Amino acid sequence: MPDVVVNGTRLFYQQMGEGPDVVLIHAVTSNQAVWVFTGLPDAIAAEGFRVTTYDLRGHGASDRPPTGYTSAAMADDFRALHAELGLKPAYIVGHSFGGVIGIHTATLFPECVEGIILSDSFFPGLRHVEPNFGRSNVWVDLSATFREIGVELGETVNFTRLFQASTELTPEQNKALDALVGPIGRGWLRQLPLLAQTTCGDEVLAEAGLTAEKIASVTQPVIALYDEFSPFLATCRWLEQNVPNCTAEIIPEAKHLAVVENTVAFTASVIRHLKQLTAPLGQALNV
Amino acid sequence: MSNRTPEQLYADLATVMANAFPDRDISVTVGPETRVFADLGMASIELVVLGERLEQFYGRKLPFGLFLAGLRKQGAEDLELGNLIAFLETHV
Repeated sequence: MPDVVVNGTRLFYQQMGEGPDVVLIHAVTSNQAVWVFTGLPDAIAAEGFRVTTYDLRGHGASDRPPTGYTSAAMADDFRALHAELGLKPAYIVGHSFGGVIGIHTATLFPECVEGIILSDSFFPGLRHVEPNFGRSNVWVDLSATFREIGVELGETVNFTRLFQASTELTPEQNKALDALVGPIGRGWLRQLPLLAQTTCGDEVLAEAGLTAEKIASVTQPVIALYDEFSPFLATCRWLEQNVPNCTAEIIPEAKHLAVVENTVAFTASVIRHLKQLTAPLGQALNV
Repeated sequence: MSNRTPEQLYADLATVMANAFPDRDISVTVGPETRVFADLGMASIELVVLGERLEQFYGRKLPFGLFLAGLRKQGAEDLELGNLIAFLETHV
């Protein structure tokens, strides 16, 4: 299994294709399977890129250390992975918290980042401009599912509460939850109690030094792909107005996980932007 | 097409899975209709790991990602081992 050890933690990664480097970073509680099952890595690689996907620490098939889950710590994981794999300055495609890691990496280790494509990210450092901070549609759906088995998660994203609640479920509640989430969701549920043994829940919602000023200081191209029914459209507008080289675009018929909810549109948009970002200047300007 | 029989491919799969996931014994229970999520209790990331391990076992790159994405595109909610064996018959 391809592994790389960074900052003392073994990360599981995959790589395909040849060309400019693109790294896909998943969200909290997710893993690289979300990319693989949508075909996005293959689609990008087919366009002449080298695509790297990896499981963040604590997620998927990577090790699960007790600490080190802020976007700053995970940006340092990215820096070390980037060095270990010998990548060139990379285009990062980051979903939700994966995008926060991408932006944080661009501020801390700009030499590793050629550009960033965000997918519906919300930033702890922008909570003052985002009225819906922590109010993800996905969380609302998840809360409703847990409510059906008698567990209250609250209206606002609280990963620590989710992880802890998952350790306290009775066998009957687990069985009922399994039935509600279906066979694929069960694998996702199984990891939640394990994350309760870590600082992940609190740390991923910490600003960790990625202030609004730091976000606005990013000079690499930023493509802000936000979902049509995203609760974070105020964040999208702020990025467009404050990040000097930012282009915003709305992905239709999606509410937070466009790569799954509208795979065709998301894939087409990512590839179009990657091709524009890597095109010779004259070609990019259509001259 | 593979020069290995379906029986040999099932045996290969059992070996690879036993090494990758030592807590699961699929050797006595599997058949073409065995589902990897519902019956074997695997998670989606474990399928990704399985794809890597199969590549190592056969010593060649396999279009496993395209295979998984194709299943999802068809609306499949699970993966039956018979489909996986058919994939291996084509690619190893």
